[in-house]
Amino acid sequence: MATLISRKASSLRRLRRSFFFSTLTHSRSSMTAPSPSPLLNHLFRPASHPRPSSILSQLDNYLCQGLGTQWLILNQKHLYSTTNTTTGVNSSGAQGQSGDGDKLGDSKQTGDAGNSIRGGPVSWLSFILLVITGTCLIYYYDLLKKQRIEEINANTQTVKHGPSVGKAAIGGPFSLINHDGKPVTEKDFMGKWTLIYFGFTHCPDICPDELIKLAAAIDKIKKKAGLEVVPLFISVDPERDTVEQVREYVKEFHPNLIGLTGDVEEIRKTARAFRVYFMKTEEEDSDYLVDHSIVMYLMSPEWEFVKFFGKNNDVDSLTDGVINEIKRYK
Amino acid sequence: MGVAANSQDQIHVDILFEAREACYKIYANSQLSLARDAFYTCIKKQSNKKPTEIASVGLLYPADCKKTRAEYEKHCRSTWVKHFDRQYCAKKRVQRLLDDKDNRKGPLKLPQPYTFKEC
Repeated sequence: MATLISRKASSLRRLRRSFFFSTLTHSRSSMTAPSPSPLLNHLFRPASHPRPSSILSQLDNYLCQGLGTQWLILNQKHLYSTTNTTTGVNSSGAQGQSGDGDKLGDSKQTGDAGNSIRGGPVSWLSFILLVITGTCLIYYYDLLKKQRIEEINANTQTVKHGPSVGKAAIGGPFSLINHDGKPVTEKDFMGKWTLIYFGFTHCPDICPDELIKLAAAIDKIKKKAGLEVVPLFISVDPERDTVEQVREYVKEFHPNLIGLTGDVEEIRKTARAFRVYFMKTEEEDSDYLVDHSIVMYLMSPEWEFVKFFGKNNDVDSLTDGVINEIKRYK
Repeated sequence: MGVAANSQDQIHVDILFEAREACYKIYANSQLSLARDAFYTCIKKQSNKKPTEIASVGLLYPADCKKTRAEYEKHCRSTWVKHFDRQYCAKKRVQRLLDDKDNRKGPLKLPQPYTFKEC
């Protein structure tokens, strides 16, 4: 495209030069256009160089000039945009006669308008539009962000009670032996609320204290809210805690307290289901203590885990906690 | 699914209620004297005296409390004695940290080679 224009421009420059030359030397005053004829003769009839003097040649010249001026007008438009040589064309227009001068003048004006549009890609209008669009976008995005932040804040501040994101996977089925020697599973405890404590009978001080607390809490819950909760003691030392051992141990705390023991493997599985840690601490002369987590688990009648209570709760907080959970569950 | 086989099918009585009570405290001649608790109160009372006797797990006690110590060890299982001594040491350490106002401020000591750590 550029080469095409440059070629046209160079040819037109030659044209103009020939224009001046011809106007100076020629005087075909009867004709409106001076003489694009010689060059046009060159262009349109390159074969015949010498100037004809017959009527035919005049007719030819008319045609040539008509075509030529049109062609010139088109090319002048191109010229304006690429080479900005208005002065040269002006003078050539001035050189031309009145009719053509008008035409050229018109073309010049349209050329001028085209020049201001095609002077550069950015105008004031486009810049203003850009700024407006930009600010609108930024404002909208900011608004959306604020709304999102408020939403997140509102969600985090509302205290979620109970299992809102699913239930903890604590608890599960078990099959152990109770202190009467009868094999039991978790189905035997369904239908009632249960409070489970894991411990062992040879415990020096912690298990007795916790079991005393558990027994007292069971009685208090019965007195306060009239609710029946079954206390359960599961031994984490099945090697030493036989059925008789557990029976003797458990009957001292509460008549309802049920003690469970069983196979070593079963106890391990049950403790894993309840996430209870227990480990034998090696002592000498065949006596040992068992290190274990000190937690009480509250299980619903459907044998689902509801809440756990640690060592820090005293009797009253344990009582109130259990009553609250039972009330809320219903 | 059997019960864990036990070589001795007897019940350990020394962990039941009375034995526990005896360990924690004993009734001698209708006079309440607390075995375990007696021993520890004795140590607390005699804290100004220099500890010379060795108990267990690094606990030292003055010679005046020897009698209560004997009673204590008679009525409680040995593992339980160790357990309670360890508990007492931990309590004492925490107390020392809390009470310590002027004495042990100074540059930190580098870890020393093993020495008998008094509790």
